[in-house]
Amino acid sequence: MLAANPVGKWLAATGMESDIVISTRVRLARNLVDVPFIVKASASDQARVVDTVRWALQDSGYLKRGKFIDNEQLTEEQGQFLLERHLVSPDFIEAKTKRGLYVSRDETISLMVNEEDHLRFHALVSGFDFPSAFDVVSKLDERLESQVGYAFSSKFGFLTACPTNVGTGMRASVLVHLPGLVLTKEIEKVLRGAVHIDLVVRGLYGEGTETKGNFFQISNQKTLGRSESEILETVTDSTRQIVDYEHKAREYLIKNLRVEIEDKVFRSFALLKSARILSSDEAINLLATVRLGVSLGIINQVNLSRVSKLLILVLPENLQAMLGERLKLPERDERRATFVRESLVR
Amino acid sequence: MKKCDLCGKNEAVMKVRQVDKDGNVTELNICAECAHKRGFSEVEKINMSVAEVLAEMKKKVAEEDRYLVCPGCGMSFAEFKRLGRLGCAECYTSFGPRLESLIRRIQGAVQHIGKTTKVGRKKAQVRMNVQRLNEELKNAIQAEDYEKAAKLRDQLKQAGKHAGR
Repeated sequence: MLAANPVGKWLAATGMESDIVISTRVRLARNLVDVPFIVKASASDQARVVDTVRWALQDSGYLKRGKFIDNEQLTEEQGQFLLERHLVSPDFIEAKTKRGLYVSRDETISLMVNEEDHLRFHALVSGFDFPSAFDVVSKLDERLESQVGYAFSSKFGFLTACPTNVGTGMRASVLVHLPGLVLTKEIEKVLRGAVHIDLVVRGLYGEGTETKGNFFQISNQKTLGRSESEILETVTDSTRQIVDYEHKAREYLIKNLRVEIEDKVFRSFALLKSARILSSDEAINLLATVRLGVSLGIINQVNLSRVSKLLILVLPENLQAMLGERLKLPERDERRATFVRESLVR
Repeated sequence: MKKCDLCGKNEAVMKVRQVDKDGNVTELNICAECAHKRGFSEVEKINMSVAEVLAEMKKKVAEEDRYLVCPGCGMSFAEFKRLGRLGCAECYTSFGPRLESLIRRIQGAVQHIGKTTKVGRKKAQVRMNVQRLNEELKNAIQAEDYEKAAKLRDQLKQAGKHAGR
């Protein structure tokens, strides 16, 4: 299993616009040629796919730069831990059938075997950086393709289990922090605009979850009939525009509501530094406000990277993995408060 | 109301289009009596409600969905609609225009223009094939099906040659 610390490199808060764009992700969906897709694959088909992919990763040198984990070795808690770290999907950890997971050491690459498609892999990088993410994921794609062979048609492109992914099989997304737009109540307008140009907007943890801490995930909806570079261009342009709106909203807040914003930020910071009981939801919301404060230069005792990492480490399974013990409530909330306090005060 | 174009007496209840050999279309207004005489039995079906017509159409589509089956994996179009997932790569051709119109609705396009793959057999593919044949061979021997086992052994030899390259 992975260690809780250090957290993934994508949380380093480096790269362009990292005060607003937390991370950039490019994900590809692929299926092996001549093997039925997951719903029609037999147990031995699935086992063979896991084995083949593991072998291909080893042969191409990826395995020595990361870990390959069998889902049968995963406990429920470890699955949850990986989910909190954005390395797997909820669907991946729920399955009882044979699945595999590859994670590169710095957690930039994650590759799920036998999720909805035989292969689902992504590159996740810090800040607003589609060129790097696409480069990493393309290299892996080409290495795998040269070894395993993909299901492909000249008409529909890369064939996927669900027609919503067919074609490029590519989902390009950014995780953005938009407290300025939420506070100025402009968020609805901006998000509606994004949906209008075929982008999908979700809360931090993907489909069906509410937005905690004003974090949003924006990605392309369509995968067919446009090239990879066109998709990247669309998402890049829209992100740039959203970042611009967020900057303007923050400028407005500082100009017109400086005291109110400072009050909100300092109160959140004070709570984090003195609370004795802290739930993960409360911690996320307070940390998100502190993150805004750091970006605006209101707080300078901590940096963006520290706050971003805490946003993952306060989550239940990451917290317990880091402390190295299983904790029940209410003790877990007490230990979380202690951990956050110590991380922010020193 | 228009009078029937055939008898000229009764009130017309339906329109009939006639197309002759040269493709000329003539439209006739016909009464129920004449329609019956000429064998246009649809006259009775006009009494169906809109809901009934829709239900009938739906039933027919559902039936078609059940019988549209991919030979590659055995998935029917009805099963795909229920699961939202296709069974294999071949489904994309097996389900033909039904799937294509769905893809057009979702994607707004039906032609891929991105990255393509290189053709040719891949190392892992050969390896996987050998694994599969070995598994089948083991099963055949266990089942004492020696004829099949011999065939599989030949196939394995062939596959092994490719792998050795």
